[in-house]
Amino acid sequence: MTFLEFVEGPFFYFAAIVFLLGAGWKVLGLLRLGRRPDIAPPNGSAAWGFVRGNLRHFVPRGIFSRRTWLHILAGYAFHVALFVLVFFATFHIAFIERFTGLSWPALPRWGFIIVADIAFAGLIALWVRRISDPVMRQITRREDHVSTILTFLVMLTGCLALQESHDSLRATHMLFVNIWLIYFPFSRLMHAFTFVLSRGHTGATYGRKGMNL
Amino acid sequence: MRLHFVAWFFTFVLVAVMTLAPGISHSQSSVRPPGSAVTFPDAPEAGPSNTLGDQSDSDIWRTIRGGAPRDPAVIFAPTAEGALMTTTGQQWRVLRENVLRKYLGWAPVAVIGLLALVYLVRGPMRIKGGRSGKTLPRFTLTARVGHWFMAVVFILLAISGLIILLGRVAIAPYLGKEVNSVLTSAALQGHNLFGPLFILALVWMFFAFVKGNFFHPHDIKWMLRAGGLFGHHVSSRKFNFGEKSWFWMVILVGIVMSATGILLLFPWLSDDLRLHQLSTILHVLGGVLLLSVAIGHIYVGTIGMEGSIDSMLKGEVDENWAKEHHDIWYEQMTGKSARDDAPENSAQKADAQSKEATS
Repeated sequence: MTFLEFVEGPFFYFAAIVFLLGAGWKVLGLLRLGRRPDIAPPNGSAAWGFVRGNLRHFVPRGIFSRRTWLHILAGYAFHVALFVLVFFATFHIAFIERFTGLSWPALPRWGFIIVADIAFAGLIALWVRRISDPVMRQITRREDHVSTILTFLVMLTGCLALQESHDSLRATHMLFVNIWLIYFPFSRLMHAFTFVLSRGHTGATYGRKGMNL
Repeated sequence: MRLHFVAWFFTFVLVAVMTLAPGISHSQSSVRPPGSAVTFPDAPEAGPSNTLGDQSDSDIWRTIRGGAPRDPAVIFAPTAEGALMTTTGQQWRVLRENVLRKYLGWAPVAVIGLLALVYLVRGPMRIKGGRSGKTLPRFTLTARVGHWFMAVVFILLAISGLIILLGRVAIAPYLGKEVNSVLTSAALQGHNLFGPLFILALVWMFFAFVKGNFFHPHDIKWMLRAGGLFGHHVSSRKFNFGEKSWFWMVILVGIVMSATGILLLFPWLSDDLRLHQLSTILHVLGGVLLLSVAIGHIYVGTIGMEGSIDSMLKGEVDENWAKEHHDIWYEQMTGKSARDDAPENSAQKADAQSKEATS
């Protein structure tokens, strides 16, 4: 078994299982926490508040938007571009098709390059803001840096293997993907799933009180 | 006597046989025309004369090239008049292989060596009187993020660029051609990917730092006194001559790097091969120049000068640092004179004042 076969085979299965079980366990744990009982009569819909809370947070508040424009711009650039890269890159679709048989139209190569540049610009801007802003530095933990660097390495090794000329480059990318998948449930990378719950919780709480978010 | 004659006779026979043998052998194996061959009576006995032509090889190639190989008119002309081909690629290859690849990689190494020597001999530049504990805001968050964005992109481009340029001479002989091939393939993809981000960073840097970076008559003094390297204090505004020069070098060389990089990334933008060859040369020279000076910039910004890194990490600098290195800017910011006294340690001064008060 070659190293490529190992990282795309047994090691990938192991990483995927850890990712799915770990992330699922954490989300279920959060859901099981439930809400504190509120004996006050409801003035509005908690369910609608949950939805509104999630949607409202996608749009920056007027009073903060000038101060946080960089964070908002870089945040959207990185997350949207990463989503597109993961699900619309030719190689990723082919990889998913190998396991599920599912396939869909892929980005052209030039599109991939542009989206990758946007993702890298966003991630680098977010990280350098983290080290440049005194407040951000105060609330940053070591695992934030580890998560960022690991995500950066996954993206970087993927792009370095773009020429598809050497198996070793593809294997390096898959190695980092597997490490990232294993690390995911135990880190703040979980915000990819938990942001819905945290925003929804805030929205539901205020929605039940009848507050306009 | 008879014996002597016999010896001479056999020697003669032996020499005669050795001399004639090849001829005999050749005549026996020579190709003869077949019996049915027709021989024309007026057929020429020998082949055509003057098969090499009237011109030498050099003359022929000179004609094809449109002139002598080292003639600048031939080297730099679009296509010399009457020339059938352009030969600038030869000069480009020689320059790239024999000069740039051989010597250019040593420039950053030399800068590192020089800075190590400066550090060992002189040591880091400490803030005279220590830190005051009071700070002045120096760079906004947008400027700091722009600076670090450029730093990250620049480092990635520098590493990948050096692999592409020097892999064949610095990696292949030691780690093997296979490793060099893998690294070069990866570096090429990375370099092409991060190139556009460099242009974005360059625009960001320009707008974030252009204010205050225009040259001023004060800078002549700073330049003549080598920035106080030999002990004389030199007044400076927000940016000194060295910082201004670095800023404009980044912007101007960065524009050249961006333009040449775009041409190399999208070769179909121009049909003129000389432009592509010139682009690779300028790209390499500009890259090594920026890298070499950037190493000096990193040294001064970190271990070379106490208090410098704060401006880019926290956005603030110590007042004593400002007094010492940017006194005019300090006066503009605080409205106080920087020359009333030497850089002071406010904490110590406050202690002294409180002791005086209690006594």
